[in-house]
Amino acid sequence: MHATAERAVVLRGVRWICPASGRSGEGDLSIVDGRLASQAPSHAKVVAARGLVVMPHFVELAAHLGDPGFLWREDLTSGSAAGAAGGFGLVVATPDTDPVIDRGALLGDLQVRAGGVTGAEVRFAGALTIGLDGVELAEIGSLVDAGAVALSDGGRAIADGLVLRRALDYARPFGVPVLLRPGEPVLEADGVVHEGAVALEVGLRGIPAAAEEIGVARAVALARQTGARVHLHSITTAQSVAQVREARRQGVLLSASTAARALLLTDADVDRSDYDTSLRLTPPLRPEADRLALVEAVRAGDVCLTSAHFPLSRVEKEHEFERAMPGAAGLETAFSAALTALEGDLVAVARALAVGPGQLLGRQPRIEDGAKANLVLVDPNSAAEATQPQHSRGVNEPLAGRVLRGRVMATMVAGRWVHFSIDV
Amino acid sequence: MPGAERRPARRRRKDMLGLRGVTREEITQILETAARIRAVNRRKVKKVPTLRGRTVVSAFFENSTRTRMSFDLAAKRLSADVLGFSASSSSTRKGETLMDTARNIDAWRPDALIIRHPCAGAPHMLAKAFPWSVINAGDGIHEHPTQALLDMLTMRDHLGELDGKRVAIVGDVLHSRVARSNIFGLRTMGAQVVVAGPGTMCPRKLESLGVEVRHRIDEVVEDVDVIMMLRIQRERLGRAMMTGVAEYAGLYGLDTDRLARARPDVLVMHPGPINRGVEMTPDVADGDRSVVLEQVSNGLAVRMALLYLLLGEESGDARNG
Repeated sequence: MHATAERAVVLRGVRWICPASGRSGEGDLSIVDGRLASQAPSHAKVVAARGLVVMPHFVELAAHLGDPGFLWREDLTSGSAAGAAGGFGLVVATPDTDPVIDRGALLGDLQVRAGGVTGAEVRFAGALTIGLDGVELAEIGSLVDAGAVALSDGGRAIADGLVLRRALDYARPFGVPVLLRPGEPVLEADGVVHEGAVALEVGLRGIPAAAEEIGVARAVALARQTGARVHLHSITTAQSVAQVREARRQGVLLSASTAARALLLTDADVDRSDYDTSLRLTPPLRPEADRLALVEAVRAGDVCLTSAHFPLSRVEKEHEFERAMPGAAGLETAFSAALTALEGDLVAVARALAVGPGQLLGRQPRIEDGAKANLVLVDPNSAAEATQPQHSRGVNEPLAGRVLRGRVMATMVAGRWVHFSIDV
Repeated sequence: MPGAERRPARRRRKDMLGLRGVTREEITQILETAARIRAVNRRKVKKVPTLRGRTVVSAFFENSTRTRMSFDLAAKRLSADVLGFSASSSSTRKGETLMDTARNIDAWRPDALIIRHPCAGAPHMLAKAFPWSVINAGDGIHEHPTQALLDMLTMRDHLGELDGKRVAIVGDVLHSRVARSNIFGLRTMGAQVVVAGPGTMCPRKLESLGVEVRHRIDEVVEDVDVIMMLRIQRERLGRAMMTGVAEYAGLYGLDTDRLARARPDVLVMHPGPINRGVEMTPDVADGDRSVVLEQVSNGLAVRMALLYLLLGEESGDARNG
């Protein structure tokens, strides 16, 4: 699909939601020269959008795009297309590539290639530590100067408190957010599912909730200590949520997200599915009580969402559960998963997928006159069975086969349609 | 998935992956069949033609001598052709995946695969993907159903019905597939299970499996019908799991003093091989309450019964059609 640009577009009879301002409305929405406008010229292309809803396009904070080094999983082009199909206008790629993006010089070529994608805009997070090994600091300054919009060790939790502290001190003046996966590696050890009743029944080694919660506690304390802008991606337990809330209440510059799928799936699904390896995830799926706490926190706006997109091939997933690579595809299902879990609450979904992540990256996603036309058009009433990815190369979509609510119809970045499944 | 189209529509059990979810009726049927089939093993000619022409592959991805020999002998006594596939001698060493290995085995059109594997769920993966029967001979720390069945057969021989009986399991219950299968099976049969071991091996959360949890053997020996001792495998234990063999033997070992406080007719069981002087003293291991060798002989009977029930005439020939 090629991006298509019209100088002027009218979305006819559409509902629109601007979660940042709290305003919404229904009627014709005009887009002129890449910006939302109060009215369009008479030659504007008219899109029949009755029954559809416009909101700011989604922003993905941490997607593994496998480029360079793991092109059988994904590349910038397929990742960008998968993002656009999922309603994401901006996808931040994690640095867990081969080579790891731990030097500014590595970003140059990538950014040039990212400039050529036709789906979601692709930007990059630079590594915090060399090789993501958690030992020596990566070239944080040159990464940011080369265009990194965030710093992260991807799915790796940094075990060494001193390294983490120094990384935050070093990163703070550069002004980009630091994305951390909270965890205590020695407690995670060889666990592959949540440590609890289900792990006991299915005979898999558990990862205790405490492994994540200690990571959250350490990150909170060090964020307070250093003043760095910390974002905890993929928190999964009710206690993690409580810690994040308390830290924010105290004014610590900290935010958090969870994977959209974590609002729907629990560790019991590992049992129900008879060891489906697309449910082998880091962090693992948690019990129902944690799932409910996450849903509530997202609804309340205290935790936002990512797709936690980690596409993998059959060769990497067709193994015994504990030997399968952890990770699941998610860009193409995140919106529907969120809308299903949040029972159709479009405002909460837009806040969690668009506003929270966007603001973290310094953007102001808005639906109002004069704002950049960065938007997504969704059908909130669709109900369809999720499939394996259509655009991503991953074969590891754990929600495939489930009936999910809501469908992304079109995605627009700066006035250009980067994905559409209706006549635009 | 490969071969799935050959799977015939049938109501009978195709696989034995674990005892969780297996009904009381089915367990009873297996145990009663095993009790009957034992007669074969006492004859001069210890072979019946029941599975003639059937092919049973045993694939052991973990070291095992006894279980493997027991399964092989069970299949041979039923006249099946037995093919041994050992991980150390196969291409798994060369990086072949389990599914690749299984696709190769599938090309030989076997009737059953007996698998032992270090990963929980490995037998389930094959059972889902292929039309032949899969028997779990131990998957990681998950289940070892034939061990629990032979244990229950041994208990039944001495105690009659298991309903209401009380069984103690002592040792590293958390990481024991023998314990897990016994817990599932015994609970289904109506027995009470109490486990005892250090907090690292018998955490409180085991209660979610429907068992009582204790932390000293002295708290469990007195009022049980069976004391099942688990093997301590120090080389396989994780970091900081126990303090030392001496303390373990002191707190959890079964010796004559402790046995003297147990019921006079208590059964002492062990899945073998025994660490004499650790789990139990030699005089207890070899004493008159020990039924360890009965367990071994019942293992053969239970495995014959399972192969018969999964592959025998009554289960129909559709699979070979």
